[in-house]
Amino acid sequence: MSKTLNRRDFIKTTSATTIGVATIANGITLTTFAGTNKTPVTNEKRWGMLIDTNKLSEIDIDGMVSACKKEQGWGSEVHSTGNQKPGWIKKLKVKDKATGKVSNLALMCQHCEEPPCVDVCPTNASMKREDGIVLVDKHLCIGCRYCMMACPYDARSFVHETLSNQKEHMPRGKGTVESCTMCVHKIDKGEVPACVTSVNSDAVIFGDLYDASSKINQTLKTIQSAQIRADLNLNTGVRYSGL
Amino acid sequence: MNRLLVVFLSLLVGSVFAHTNEHANLGEQASSIKTSGKVFHESVSIIRKMHPEFLRHKRDKTLRQGVRTDEYSLKGCVLCHANKNKTNNQYHSVDKKGQFCSDCHEQVGVSLDCFSCHRTIPKEGSL
Amino acid sequence: MSNIRFEQIEGKILGFYALIAGLGILVLAALGSVYYMEHHGHFVTGMNNRIVWGMPHVFALFLIAAASGALNVASISSVFNKKLYKPLSRLSGLVALSLLAGGLMVLVLDLGRPDRLIVAMTEYNFKSIFAWNIILYNGFFVVVAVYLWMMFERRMNRFSRKAGLVAFGWRLILTTGTGSIFGFLVAKQAYDAVIMAPMFIIMSFAFGLAFFILILMASYQWTNRPLGDAVVNRLSNLLGVFVAAVMYFVAVYHLGNLYLAENTGVENFILFDGGIYTKLFWYGQIILGELIPMALIYHPATKGNRSTLGLASVLIIIGGLIQLYVIIIGGQAYPMELFPGKEILEGYGGVAQYSTSLPEMSLGVGGVALAIIAVTFLVKLLAFLPESLADDVDDPHHKG
Ligand code: SF4
Ligand code: SF4
Repeated sequence: MSKTLNRRDFIKTTSATTIGVATIANGITLTTFAGTNKTPVTNEKRWGMLIDTNKLSEIDIDGMVSACKKEQGWGSEVHSTGNQKPGWIKKLKVKDKATGKVSNLALMCQHCEEPPCVDVCPTNASMKREDGIVLVDKHLCIGCRYCMMACPYDARSFVHETLSNQKEHMPRGKGTVESCTMCVHKIDKGEVPACVTSVNSDAVIFGDLYDASSKINQTLKTIQSAQIRADLNLNTGVRYSGL
Repeated sequence: MNRLLVVFLSLLVGSVFAHTNEHANLGEQASSIKTSGKVFHESVSIIRKMHPEFLRHKRDKTLRQGVRTDEYSLKGCVLCHANKNKTNNQYHSVDKKGQFCSDCHEQVGVSLDCFSCHRTIPKEGSL
Repeated sequence: MSNIRFEQIEGKILGFYALIAGLGILVLAALGSVYYMEHHGHFVTGMNNRIVWGMPHVFALFLIAAASGALNVASISSVFNKKLYKPLSRLSGLVALSLLAGGLMVLVLDLGRPDRLIVAMTEYNFKSIFAWNIILYNGFFVVVAVYLWMMFERRMNRFSRKAGLVAFGWRLILTTGTGSIFGFLVAKQAYDAVIMAPMFIIMSFAFGLAFFILILMASYQWTNRPLGDAVVNRLSNLLGVFVAAVMYFVAVYHLGNLYLAENTGVENFILFDGGIYTKLFWYGQIILGELIPMALIYHPATKGNRSTLGLASVLIIIGGLIQLYVIIIGGQAYPMELFPGKEILEGYGGVAQYSTSLPEMSLGVGGVALAIIAVTFLVKLLAFLPESLADDVDDPHHKG
């Protein structure tokens, strides 16, 4: 009988039951995903960030790093040492050789429009969503680390040890590669990435780069901003000003 | 091709289990739902046979297209089918020996890869 | 040529079993290491997020390059119709396949998720040179296997030359593909050079021939079959030419990089102040792996001597491994230029540290051992080796 099962019909009927169940069960709360995205994301949006290094304090950056760790559950690895530890977002101190000016910035996956990490991945595990967010599909990742070789921003980490107690929204596992997801699980709920929320000023702006009415779009139009390694023409989603 | 293989194997596995209706270790919430007499999975045999396919379909939609619904969400499976340790009130991981997922997978000799990355107990605060 | 007789080697001698047993232990040690690495995770290795490809990749890429190079002897006979090399064609194909098997074993077993090999075989991103390489490697097995079959099967002999041509073309593409793995890494200065792919081809010529010569001499020595000077001297000369060509490419590569302003950083690092990498480059790669072997091959005092030719081949192999170490590890150790014109004070930069771990080393050696086991077994099983390669049998001038 299962051979003739039409999956679509089946999903329809069960979904009806599912909703029923959520209300019946005594003392049982079923997780409901209020306000979540129900249709595929499109390329009408392009998510991005603008980081103003003049406004961003070192304390802000530390806060961003810990917010990311807390949200995504990385950073408490016990066996990995030194460069083996994951680093989805890093604090960088940069000095201009000519002027001597020192800037501090947070560096994470830049969510390139032309991501080298996606081009090189043999299995399509490294992928870009329609809305510009670059992710690793850990179901397909074989842990070859070619994407890490290709990323110009040192943005990716390899999970060097067995993990447990991962965040429910952020599966992570030994032998696969991971990096900043731009808190895609929050974005899909209409929320803002954790690192952005952690900063109290407008030193970090998050939004849709294409939306002419968005703050990020308008700010980018009025101020000087830069992409890191703009010479590589990757058209990054994360931009910096004051560098 | 790969997909067909999965379906085929699922059917095969399903047919092994189609006749037994009992599972010793259903999990906390799943048991309550069952005793309350309500139906969550319209057909137990279908979910047994087809759940790998459903999960795979769902995972691609969620990860690649950002479609986030609670249908066939692995989080949902874990939430309902996890058991609690009665003495310390902590959840057992669903992939630990004797627990819901691993129990069956072990019996039919199918490896269980979800939990090399996914959380094995309901999320924090749902104790 | 028709009276060249191929025959299996005798497998009853003690030495044969001792060899197999010794190599078998190395392979088992490699498998043990893999279990250890995969069970604990790669934190037990020397790799980290800056040096993501370690010792296993050095061995794997070396063996893969050598594999395509080992096919050269066969190619020379089929493509350029050189009769002298014809009796060696079968062995050449066998060594090529075995080295490739060894290299792939190492490459696959160092993956973070080797259990997902099936994914690598079913999901292809055709933009990825890595995915293409997977196809090229698989294809190489098929092409060379068919070629061997045509050489073995009398009825098919007449097609063997065409098959040889195909195999030759395939191996050129394969090595280009292997070299291009690096060519696509725009952000890493060390790999930002078009010459990488042709350099890999030449390197493969030298490494593959060195392996071939060692295996040829060892198998004839141990089985007491005659091996004439004509063959050996010809191969020896060829080896010298290949090593010289490698040196030429290495020079062009480094001079070219020095000339390109944006790559002078990494050049200075490798050539002058890179500590271990500079030492490995000059003493290991250039002197040990290139100059000394050249001297051994061409110096009148040692020319034509089989032991020194053997030594030269061993040195070329060691030097080749060192060369790949410098390219792969050295190229990653040098930091990427994140902010041209700026200095990074904190958070990234500096030379990344890598010290290889025992399991990684053992996996690499295991790959070499696997390749040699495969050759040893198969020459016993099938008639790969001519019964005699004495000058009067093999020399085309004798045959007319
Ligand atoms: S920053 Fe690196 S990991 Fe992120 S999209 Fe670009 S290449 Fe990929
Ligand atoms: S490590 Fe994973 S994501 Fe990265 S290139 Fe390899 S398979 Fe793709």
